[in-house]
Amino acid sequence: MPPYRSAAEQGDRTVDYENRQPAEGINVTAGHPLRRFAVLVGAAALLVVVLVVITRFAGGAAARLVPFSVEQRVMRSLDIPFGDAPLDDPVRVYLDELAQRLVPSLGLPADMSVIVHYDSADTFNAFATLGGNLLFYRGLLERMPDENALAMVMAHEIAHVLHRDPAAGLGGGVASALVLAAVTGSVGTGAATDGLSRTGLLTSVQFTRRMERQADRVASAALAERYGHLHGAATLFEVIQAQRLPSRRPVWLERFTATHPLDADRIRAIEAHAQELGVPLDGPATPLPAEVVAALRAAAPAAEPD
Amino acid sequence: MYQIYLFVALLVVGYGFGQLAERRHLKSLIEREKVANALPAIASRFPATDRAYDQQLVSGSVVIASDYFKTFVSGLINLFGGRVTPFESLIDRARREALLRMKADAQRRGAGYVFNVKYETSRIGAGRVPAMEVLAYGTALVPGTAGRDLPGEAVHASADADAAVPVSG
Repeated sequence: MPPYRSAAEQGDRTVDYENRQPAEGINVTAGHPLRRFAVLVGAAALLVVVLVVITRFAGGAAARLVPFSVEQRVMRSLDIPFGDAPLDDPVRVYLDELAQRLVPSLGLPADMSVIVHYDSADTFNAFATLGGNLLFYRGLLERMPDENALAMVMAHEIAHVLHRDPAAGLGGGVASALVLAAVTGSVGTGAATDGLSRTGLLTSVQFTRRMERQADRVASAALAERYGHLHGAATLFEVIQAQRLPSRRPVWLERFTATHPLDADRIRAIEAHAQELGVPLDGPATPLPAEVVAALRAAAPAAEPD
Repeated sequence: MYQIYLFVALLVVGYGFGQLAERRHLKSLIEREKVANALPAIASRFPATDRAYDQQLVSGSVVIASDYFKTFVSGLINLFGGRVTPFESLIDRARREALLRMKADAQRRGAGYVFNVKYETSRIGAGRVPAMEVLAYGTALVPGTAGRDLPGEAVHASADADAAVPVSG
C-alpha cells in the first residue's frame, strides 16, 4: 500500500506530510530469546560458581591463618552458653574423658584443645564450632550402641577442630555471602536473585562435603589406632540412614545438593579406608559405661502410655 | 524442590504467553497502522498554515508490564550489561500502541493532522514485575469552524472543511 500523503502549506511553502508504515524489527535486536536466555543463565551460573569458589578458598584460607588462640579468646569473651550440663555431669565428664583419650590419636597440636559440652535435649546431633567447642545432644548419645560409635562421632568433630573447619567455614561463608549478595543485589529481580543464591549455595556445599569427608577419614584413622579395628565407625551413618525418610529425589541429585556426603557413600569410604589402613572393619565393641547409660535413661522423658 | 518446579513453570508460562501476546499485538498494530497512516502525526513544531485550524491537545497512553521470562532475563542482563533486549520489543509495541491511541483520539475530533508529537515514558512500581507507561501526545489540527479562523493574510480560509482530511496519494 503506498504511503498516505498530504500536502499543506506551511508559511510560504507547501510541505508534504505523510506517515509511512514503521519498519519492522529496527528497534529490536535480532536473536532468539531462548538462545539469549541460555547464554545468560550459563554465564551467570559460571560467574557465581567462580566467585564462590574463590571467596570460599580465600575466606577459608584467611580464617585458618588466624591463630587458634584468638579463636578461643573470642569465644571466651562472647561467653556463648553451650548445652545445659554442668562440668561434673557424669555424661559430660565421660564425653570429656573420651575426647582426651582420642586427642593423641588425632594429632591435635599442643596449642589446640577442645571443650566438650552436653545438652540433654532430644536432638539427634553433635557439632564442633569455633574455639574448639563441641556440643553433643542426648538425642544422639541415646542412639549410640557402644563407645566405638560415639568415639567415631567425637573423633569426627575433633577432626573438624583440627582442620580449623568451623573458622574456615565462617570465613569462607561470610566472604562468599558478601560477594553473592553484591552479585544478586545487582540483578534486582526476585527470580534471578533466588536462582543465583541457590547456585552459590550449591557451590558452597561442595566445600562442606569435602570437609566432612576429610573429617571422616581422620576420625576413622584415629579409631583404628585407638581400638585396632573400625567397629562402630559406620554406625552413626547406619543409624541416620535407618532414620531418614526415603527420598524421592534421584541419588545423583542428593549427592550433589547435600551439605554432607550421602550416608551410603560415607559407609563405603570407611570400608575402603579400613582396607587401606589394614585394619578389620569389625572387632570387639567397647560398651558405654553403665553410669552414662543410666544417666541418659534418667534424663529421657518418661514414655507416654499408649 | 517444588520452588524449582514453580520457577520453571513460571518461566515457561511467561515465555509462552509473552510470545503469543507479542505476536498477536504486532499483527494488530500493523493492521491498524495501515489505516491510521491516513492521519499524519508529525514531530514538527510548525503546524500547517494553509487554512484555519483549531488546535487541540490529543494524547494516547498505554501501560505495559513485562512477563516473568522477560523480567528474569533482564535481571541477568543487569549483571553483565548490554542491551536489555527482552524489553526492546515491549517498548517498541508500547510506543506504537500509544501513537495509535493518540491518533484515534485525534480522529474522533475530526483532526487533519497531529503536530508536535512527543513521547513520554514513566516507570510504574508494580511489585516485582516492571511496568511502564508510554504516553504519546501532540497538537491536533482540526479544520477551523466558523468564526475561529486564524487572523492575517496567510490564512486561506476554505469553505470546505473536509478538504483538510488527507487522502490516499
